[in-house]
Amino acid sequence: MKLTRRALLATGIASFAMPRIAIAEGETIKIGVLHSLSGTMAISETTLKDTMLMLIEAQNAKGGLLGKQLEAVVVDPASDWPLFAEKARELLTVSKVDVMFGCWTSVSRKSVLPVIEELNGLLFYPVQYEGEESSKNVFYTGAAPNQQAIPAVDYYLNELEVKKFALLGTDYVYPRTTNNILEAYLISKGIPKEDIFVNYTPFGHSDWSKIVGDVVALGADGKKVGVISTINGDANIGFYKELAAAGVTADTVPVVAFSVGEEELSGLDTTNLAGHLAAWNYFMSADTPENAAFIAAWKAFIKDDKRVTNDPMEAHYIGFNMWVNAVTAAGTTEVDAVSAAMIGQEFPNLTGGMSKMLPNHHLTKPVLIGEIRADGQFDIISQTEPVPGDAWTDYLPESAVLEADWAELKCGMYNTETKTCVQLTSNY
Amino acid sequence: MTRSFLARTPSVLIFLAALAVFTLAITLLSEGFGAGLISTSFVKTLGKTLCLCLVALAMDLVWGYAGILSLGHMAFFALGGYMIGMWLMYARTEEIVVTALAQGGLPATPEEVQQGIATQIFGVVGSSELPAIWTFAHSLPLQLTLALSVPGLLALVFGWLAFRARVTGVYLSILTQAMTLALALYLFQNDSGLRGNNGLSGLQNLPGLTDTSQDLVSVWFFWASALALGLGYLALAWVVSGKFGSVIRAIRDDEARVRFLGYPVEAYKLFVFTLTALVATLAGVLYYPQAGIINPAELAPIASIYLAVWVAIGGRGRLYGAVIGAGFVSLLSSLFTSGRLPDIPLGPVSIAWVDWWLVILGFSFVAVTLLAPKGIGGLFDRFLHIGTPDRKGAPLGPDDGSLQEQEAQE
Amino acid sequence: MRLTALLAAALFWLAPVPALAEGEAAAIVAANRDQIEKPSRQSIGQVVTALAASGDPMADDILAAWAEKRLVVRKADQALFLATPEGDGFALTALDGTPAGTAAKAELTALKPNAGVRSVISSALVQFTLSDPDPAKRRAALDSIARDTSPETLAPLRASIPTEDDPGLRAQKERLERILALRFDPDSAARVAAIRALGTDTALDTRAALNPLVATTRIAALKAPGGNVARVLVPGRDLTEAEAYDLLVAANLAPARLTAEDQRAALVANIVEGKVGGVPVADLNTEAARDRAYTALEASGAVPVAATDDEAAKVLAAHRFYDVFTEPDPAVTTAATDALAKIDRKVAAMQAVDLGLDALSLAAIYFLAAIGLAITFGVMGVINMAHGEFITIGAYTGYVVQLFVPDYTLSLLVALPLAFAVTFAAGVAMERLVISHLYRRPLETLLATFGISIALQQILKNVFGTQARPLTAPAWLDGALTFNDVVSISYIRIAIFLLALLFLLFFLWLMKRTRLGLEARAVTQNPAMAASMGINPDRIAMLTFGLGSGIAGIAGVAIGLYAKVTSEMGADYIVQSFMTVVVGGVGNVWGTLAGATMIGSLQKLIEFLNPSNTLAAQTYMILFIILFIQFRPRGIIALRGRAAGD
Repeated sequence: MKLTRRALLATGIASFAMPRIAIAEGETIKIGVLHSLSGTMAISETTLKDTMLMLIEAQNAKGGLLGKQLEAVVVDPASDWPLFAEKARELLTVSKVDVMFGCWTSVSRKSVLPVIEELNGLLFYPVQYEGEESSKNVFYTGAAPNQQAIPAVDYYLNELEVKKFALLGTDYVYPRTTNNILEAYLISKGIPKEDIFVNYTPFGHSDWSKIVGDVVALGADGKKVGVISTINGDANIGFYKELAAAGVTADTVPVVAFSVGEEELSGLDTTNLAGHLAAWNYFMSADTPENAAFIAAWKAFIKDDKRVTNDPMEAHYIGFNMWVNAVTAAGTTEVDAVSAAMIGQEFPNLTGGMSKMLPNHHLTKPVLIGEIRADGQFDIISQTEPVPGDAWTDYLPESAVLEADWAELKCGMYNTETKTCVQLTSNY
Repeated sequence: MTRSFLARTPSVLIFLAALAVFTLAITLLSEGFGAGLISTSFVKTLGKTLCLCLVALAMDLVWGYAGILSLGHMAFFALGGYMIGMWLMYARTEEIVVTALAQGGLPATPEEVQQGIATQIFGVVGSSELPAIWTFAHSLPLQLTLALSVPGLLALVFGWLAFRARVTGVYLSILTQAMTLALALYLFQNDSGLRGNNGLSGLQNLPGLTDTSQDLVSVWFFWASALALGLGYLALAWVVSGKFGSVIRAIRDDEARVRFLGYPVEAYKLFVFTLTALVATLAGVLYYPQAGIINPAELAPIASIYLAVWVAIGGRGRLYGAVIGAGFVSLLSSLFTSGRLPDIPLGPVSIAWVDWWLVILGFSFVAVTLLAPKGIGGLFDRFLHIGTPDRKGAPLGPDDGSLQEQEAQE
Repeated sequence: MRLTALLAAALFWLAPVPALAEGEAAAIVAANRDQIEKPSRQSIGQVVTALAASGDPMADDILAAWAEKRLVVRKADQALFLATPEGDGFALTALDGTPAGTAAKAELTALKPNAGVRSVISSALVQFTLSDPDPAKRRAALDSIARDTSPETLAPLRASIPTEDDPGLRAQKERLERILALRFDPDSAARVAAIRALGTDTALDTRAALNPLVATTRIAALKAPGGNVARVLVPGRDLTEAEAYDLLVAANLAPARLTAEDQRAALVANIVEGKVGGVPVADLNTEAARDRAYTALEASGAVPVAATDDEAAKVLAAHRFYDVFTEPDPAVTTAATDALAKIDRKVAAMQAVDLGLDALSLAAIYFLAAIGLAITFGVMGVINMAHGEFITIGAYTGYVVQLFVPDYTLSLLVALPLAFAVTFAAGVAMERLVISHLYRRPLETLLATFGISIALQQILKNVFGTQARPLTAPAWLDGALTFNDVVSISYIRIAIFLLALLFLLFFLWLMKRTRLGLEARAVTQNPAMAASMGINPDRIAMLTFGLGSGIAGIAGVAIGLYAKVTSEMGADYIVQSFMTVVVGGVGNVWGTLAGATMIGSLQKLIEFLNPSNTLAAQTYMILFIILFIQFRPRGIIALRGRAAGD
C-alpha cells in the first residue's frame, strides 16, 4: 500500500509539477481554452474550442503577438461544474496561461469566477447570458438580456402585435432570470400578468405535446399569442418537431428563441418551421465580406463544408481580436494592464458596424432577428443599431439601482442610490 | 480471539501510518507550508480525493461487507455539501451585506440584513425571499447539526421503508437510484430554494477568512480530509472486525439463513445503511468547500454508480481496497481530462486522451468485473499468498468479489 | 383593426386613384423606397394601401412578390426587380412588368419584410383575392381575414358569399361571417343571433371571438359606475385587501403606503446631528425604532403623512369595487356568457380526452423503451444498464441510413430492420462476451453493463460527434390527427403507439406460440430442468438477449423520429425504463404495459395539475414510484419463477 501511495505521489508530482518547470523557460503566450469536450455541454462547447484553435492558428500565421507565438492550452472540464473551477485553477497556476476563453453555462461561469478573481485571471465569456453580473476579471462578449431578449419582445409587441406571451424555458438560471426580466418588462408595457404563461421543463425534455397544446389553448381569448423560448440545447429538437406536428405556424403562434442557432437547427428538418424566429447578435446568413471570410476560414479549418457558424463563435472572434489589440496596445499580457486597455477597444462585427468594449465589461452589439428558413439558416428581418450591453437590468427593482463601471468607479456592483460599491467580487 | 483490535487487523496501522506519511509529505511540498513543489490546485485535488476515499469506504461497508448495492450514497454526500454550503454562503454574504448597508447612513435592521442576504443569494435566480429551509443557515453549529441529521434521517426513513418491505438485490439498487434521481430533480427546481441548477457557489471562500490565501486554506482542508479519512477508516475497520462484522457479511452471503438464526437482519442492514450515509455526509461536508460549488448534477445517479465502480476496481470487502480504488480512478481521471497528455498519432487520425478516456474506463471496468473480481486489492492477496483454494463445486459464499478464505478462518 | 381604418383614411391623400394607372405602382414604390427596404408594421400600412389601391395591374404582383421575399435589389445599380427562380439564378422583371434579364444570386439582395409587414400585405391583398378564381387564393384570403379580424373586412366578406360556388369555402365564409358579425355588426340583435348560430362550437377562433366580449376591467369607485357591470367585488372575499388598496392607489383615490425603502430614504434625509426625530442614528437598527422616528418626523411636518392601517381600512370601506364589461351592450354580454359557459363545459371534457391521448402516447413511448428491457431483465433476470445505448445505436442507425437513402419512407423501411439487426448483433456479442460469465452475479452484471454503457456512449460521441443528428420522419407522418381545436395527436405519436402495440402482440406471439418462447419460459422457470430436457439454456439466453436488444434498436428509431438523436438520448430513458419494468412487475409483458400506462398517465396528470413546472411532475412521479415499491415490492403484476426467486 505504501508502495502504491508513493507511486501515486510520484505520478502526481511528475504530471503536475513538471509542466511548471517547462513553462518557466517557454517563449510563448499561453491561452487557456476552458470548454467542455465531453458530457452534456460538449454538444455546444466543442465548436468553440475549435473556433479558438482556428483563431490562434490564424494569429500565429500573422506572426503571433508581441513577437511571440501563441499556444493554446486545451482542457476538458467535462460539463462537470466543480471541475471548471479546478481546471481554471490549474490553467492559472500550473499552466500559467495569460488569458482564458471559455465556459458556456452560467453555472460553469459562476464556478470559475471565485478562482479567477482570487488569482487575478482573465476570462472571455462568449455566450448570451442572464446578466446581473460584472466581474473585474471577466469580459462578457455574449449578449446581456437587453441585447437579445428585450429587442425581441419589442419586435413582438410592435411588429407582430402579440398580446399574450408564453415564456417557455429550461429550468435553470438563464431562463429563470430572463423570464423574470421579461415579465417585469411586459408588465411595464401594459401586458397584464395573467396574459403571461410561464413553463419550465427539465434539460433534454422530449415530451412536448401537452405544453404545445397548452400554448395553442392560450389563444382562446382572442389575443395573439407569441412564444418566447429559452429552451436550451437538444430539448429544442423535440419541441420544434412537436410544433410542426401540431401545425403551429409562425403566422398563428410565432416562436422566438434565444438559444436556438444554426448549430441547433442542423439537428432537425426545418421545412415546417419556416418563419419562426430567433434573436441573436449574429447570423451565419449575414451578408458582409468579413462574415464571408470568417465562414470560409472556418470551413477550411474544420475541413467540413457543411459546418455552420453561430453567435458564440462570433463572440469569441470579437473577444479574441480585442484581446490581441489590447495586448498590443498594453505591450504586455499582464492582466491589469490588458483589462485597462480592453475598455474602449473597438472591433468590426461580422454583421457590420463596430462593437465596442464598455466599462462594464460588456459589448455594444447590434440585435438581429431572424426567421428560420427551410434550409436551416435564418433570414435577417431586423437589425438594430448597436445596443450597449447592460450588466444590471433596468427592469427589476433590485438591480435597476446597480451599475458596473470598471473604468471610473472601479466597481462591478455599484449602488447608485446609496453611492456605494456593494462588493468588488462577484462570486454568486 | 482475545487479541486486541489493532493486532487483529494489522492493515489499519499500516494504512494510518501511510496516510500520516502522505499527509506530511504533501504538506512539506505544498505552496502554503512547504517547498511549493505541488501546486495549490493539486493539493485541492488530493484533498478532494481523500474525501472521495472516505465515501468509498462507506460504499465498501454497505456493498462489499453488507451486500447492499446502494446506488444512492452520493446523494448523502451531496446533501452534506448543500448543508455546509448554505452556511458558507449565508455567513459570507452577511459580512458583505452588513458592510454595504452600514455605508447607507443608518445602521441596518435585522430585516434589512436578511432581505439583503436573500437578494444577494437569490437575486441571480430571480427571487428575493429567503426560503424556509435557510432558517438555520446563520449559525454554523445548528447548520452542522442539520448537515448530519438530515441525511441521516433520510437514510433511516428510506432504509426502514425499503428493508421493512424486504426490497433486496437489484430492486434495492434501482430504488436507491430512484431516490437520488428524485432528490436531484427536486433540487434542480428553482422553487426548492437552493438556487436550482446554479447550486451554491463560491464555497471555497471561508467567511471571515476572505483575505487568507487559498494556498493555506487548501492545506487546512487537506489536513481535515486526511484526519476524517483516518478516523473513518479506524471506525469502520472496528465496526467490521468484531461479531457485528461477521453478521453483516453473513447477511451478504445468505440473508435468509441469518434471519432463521434469529438475527434481526433488517435492523443490522438499517444500521449499516444509516451509518454509511452519515460517513458519506461527513465526506461531503469536507469535499464541497474544496470543490467550491455544488449543484444538483452532483446527485445524478451516475455519480453513485461511479462510486460503485471505484470500490469494485479497488477491491470489495476490504477497506483499503475502496480507498485505493477511489484514489486511483479519480486521480487518473483528473490526469486524463487535464488535456496535457499528448495525443497518440495513429496514421491519419490522432487519438486524444480526452475523447477515449471514458472508453478505457468503461472497458477496464468490465475487464475488472470479469477477470479480476477482487480488484486492485487482489494484488495484495497474491503478495501475501492468500489464495482462493481450488474447490470442486460451489464456492463458499455466493460472491466471488469477497475475501472468502480469510473470513472462513476467523 | 385600428390600423386598417387609419390606412383607409391615409389612402385619400396619398394616392389619388387615376383612371389609367400603368406605372403608378412603380412610382409609389420609388417614392417610398426607404420604407419598403426597411419596413415596420406600424408605418408601412400607408404604402401598402396606396399600392393596393393604385389600380396598377402590377400592384398585386409587386405586393405578392414582396411578401414572398422575391422583391430584390440589384447590387450593381440599386434597382428594384421582381425575381423568379430560374436555374441557378433568377429571372428579373422590372416593376412596370417588362422582363429585365437574369441575374445570379450573389448579384442580388432580397428585401425581407418581417411577418408583421407580411400580414399587412396579405390583408391588403384580400380585396384582390376574396373572389379570385383560384380557390387556393380565396382560402388564403380567408385565413388572412381570420388571423387579423377587422370591421372593414365584414362587408367584402358578406359580398363575396353569394358568388361563392365551392361548398367547402362557402361554409367557411359563412362561419367566418358569423365570427366577424358577433363582434363588428352594428346591430345588437344581429350579434346575438350570430352568437346563437355558432352554438357550442369549441373551435379556437369561436372562443377567440367570444372571449373578448366578456372581458372585464376592474375598477374602484365611490358609487356604482354607469357601464355594463359584470359583478360587484367585496374586498377580502373576491380580492385581497392589499389588491383593493392598490386599485385605489392606482385610481388616485388613496395615498400610497410607505415602503421600507422610502422610509429609510426619508430618515436618512432628515439626520440632524446624529439624530432623526430625536432618535439617535445608532439606535435605528430595528423597524420599531424607525417607525418611532418617522412618526416623530411626521409630527414635525418634515415628511409627508403616510397611510396607517386604520386609515387604509377606512378608505377601503368607503369605496366599492366592480368588474365592468368592456362591451357596453348587456344583451351581447349575456348571450356570450351563456354561450361560453356551455362551450367551456364541452372544452373541459375535450381537454380530459386530449390529456388521455397524451398520457397514452407517453405510455406507448415508455413501453417501447422498456419492452426490450422487460425481456432481458424480466425473462432472464439480467440487468442491462447498456440498454439505453442500444436505443441510441438504433437511432444512429436510422440517421446513417438516411444519409444513404434520401427517400424518407424508404429509409425508414430500411432503418427499422437494420436497427434491429445491428442491435441484435451487439446484444448477442455482449451476452456472449460479458454477461454469460456473470449469470450468478446479478449485481456485477449491473456494474459490468454500466461499464459498457459509458464506453459505448463515449464511442458514439467520438464517432458521430456531439451535435444532435437529424432523423426525419417521412412526410406522411407529418402533422397531426385533429379531431377539433382541443383534441389532436400527432401522427408520429400514433405510429409509435401502433409500433408499441405491434411489439406487444409480437412478444405475446413469440412467448406463447413459438418453440423459442416455450424454451425461454422453461429456462425462466427452471434452468436445470430445462437443460435436462434437451434445451440449450446458453442458446436461449443468447437469443432472448439479442431479441431484447434488437427491440431496443427499433425503439431507438421511433424515439429518434419524434425527439432528438444524440449520444445521450438513451441515457434519458434508462432510469424511466427500469422504473417501468419494476413498477409493472418483472418478467411479465402485461406488467410492463401496466407500468408504462401508470407512469405515463400519472405524469400527465401531475403536469396537468401543475402546468408551469414539468420538472416537478417528474420529481413527484419518482417519489410516487419509490413509495409504490415499498408497498408492492414485486410490482403491479408479480410473477413466479426464477426472476421472482431473488
